[in-house]
Amino acid sequence: MIILRRNTVKIVTILSVILGVLWLSGFGWAIQDYYSGNSMGGIESKAAKPMQKKDKQELTIVALGDSLTRGTGDETGKGYVGLVTDDIKKRFKNRVTLHNLGINGQTSTELQKQVKQNEVQRQLASADTILITIGGNDLFQGGQTLMDFDPNSIGKIQAEFINNLTSILTDIRKANRNATIFYLGLYNPFIELENGSDTSKVVREWNDQSERVSAAFPKTVFVPTFDIFQLSVNDYLYTDNFHPNKQGYQLIAERVAPLIKWEEKQQ
Amino acid sequence: MANLIQNEMMKLLARKRIQVVGIIVAVLVLLFTYAQYKQVEEQREKLGTTDWRASLQQQIIDIQNRLGSSRMSDDWREQLQVSLKQQQYYLDHNINPTEPGAPSFVRMFVENSSDLFIPLLVMIIASDLVSSEHSLGSIKLLLTRPVKRWRILLSKYITLLLAISAIIAMVGVLAYLLSGIVFGYKGLNTPVITGFTVEGGNLDTSQVRLLAQWKFLLMDFGLVWFVAVVVGTLAFMLSVLIRSTAAGMGVTLAALISGAILSNMVSSWESAKYLFMVNLKLTNYLNGVAPPIEGMTLLSSMTVLFVWWAAALVVSFVVFTKQDVY
Repeated sequence: MIILRRNTVKIVTILSVILGVLWLSGFGWAIQDYYSGNSMGGIESKAAKPMQKKDKQELTIVALGDSLTRGTGDETGKGYVGLVTDDIKKRFKNRVTLHNLGINGQTSTELQKQVKQNEVQRQLASADTILITIGGNDLFQGGQTLMDFDPNSIGKIQAEFINNLTSILTDIRKANRNATIFYLGLYNPFIELENGSDTSKVVREWNDQSERVSAAFPKTVFVPTFDIFQLSVNDYLYTDNFHPNKQGYQLIAERVAPLIKWEEKQQ
Repeated sequence: MANLIQNEMMKLLARKRIQVVGIIVAVLVLLFTYAQYKQVEEQREKLGTTDWRASLQQQIIDIQNRLGSSRMSDDWREQLQVSLKQQQYYLDHNINPTEPGAPSFVRMFVENSSDLFIPLLVMIIASDLVSSEHSLGSIKLLLTRPVKRWRILLSKYITLLLAISAIIAMVGVLAYLLSGIVFGYKGLNTPVITGFTVEGGNLDTSQVRLLAQWKFLLMDFGLVWFVAVVVGTLAFMLSVLIRSTAAGMGVTLAALISGAILSNMVSSWESAKYLFMVNLKLTNYLNGVAPPIEGMTLLSSMTVLFVWWAAALVVSFVVFTKQDVY
């Protein structure tokens, strides 16, 4: 018994010595690699394989844009994107995959960069339906633009936005030829303030121009939201007086959801 | 000397300390494996896809949204921005930062336990190496032998180093074997990105390179081992200084836990970087995580740890050889 024990002790000791040497060399290597590891001049990026669908009947929705896509203001956190997805799940009874890439406060310049990213392009390529809300942060800048109300600067912002929008839609179409794009127009959250009619005019003009841009792309639908909020804006806005509330999102969703057709899956 | 070490090793094994450590590790690994499994499961359900790129993309979007909120401390914002850029880099280069499999789990486990869990395990062994001789009264028997005192202490210290090496290996092996049951054993060769450096809240990717996961793991283990040796030596010193094992453990425990808390709040107290406790997360440097205090580097952290180690060793030997034993 004691002899066996002595042997065990010996084995454990020797094993520990070997392990100690191993860890010490790992330690040395870590320092050496950290301070003089030869960089290969960056690493090459491999293109990812296209997304695999579990079954052919699966519907993929990609939502791009700003806080409206994110669902800010909806206490359930769904936003119109979530509500539209729910509706589709109910109507078609098949698997729906949603990629919500909306970022609070995103402007068209940032979205234009986002759609150029590899992974975003890859997700777009797998999409059947693409939902976009963009432009609110460009135009309103948290309310600043319309408070100052300088037609010159608004014109400049608008021209830049139109450029960005064209580039965004071009990139999306490049990634995916078949998906239907639903591009939501702006509403005027400031319609009940003093210069409401002036700001509404700007928003109408903005929507008008964006619709024209989107018309140049195939299978691209411009969905107006201006009228939803026109008469009773305060009923449908969140406490920040800018984002829609739950009811507001519900109304937007009810407008978008019926437009998404099953037929496009058959093609 | 070899006999002395053998003798110490036998005492260590007879006291079943290492076995207890093994059981603690096994239980924790099982817990973490389950937690990780649940997390993966939940994410899969939420996204409706098993594609890691889609879930990584979603994490990036989530971080971007969090960055948009105004109520956030600058430190936290900076940290988020760094990890955002890092994840984007992984995504752009089509490399999965959390390739499922036991090796990734081991990496996660070791990196997260390097500043508290593993030092605690080491402390269990180190704290009573000398003080227990006092409390058992066997120190007199030991010192009446015709062997120099420093040799006795050295044999104890070498035993500690061996025990630490064994514990680190045990953590690795147990984590690999147990998590592999759930995640599979593959992935030792998958590429991992290393060489990110953080400077002034910015992520520098110019030094980035790919490394096979097993190499990265060996480096991680090396660094964790070093940290464990330093903490072990400090606990060893306390074991010499304080004759009560419980008191020695208490002091080490307090230091370790205060370190874990301090790391989260010291960014404005710059001289805190000379405390050993905030320098324990060496593996963060390999991963390009921003250090708790601006200006800390792998070298500076290691130097701080080395100084503490050397001081503890000197104090231990001087005190032990001069100390009155009664």
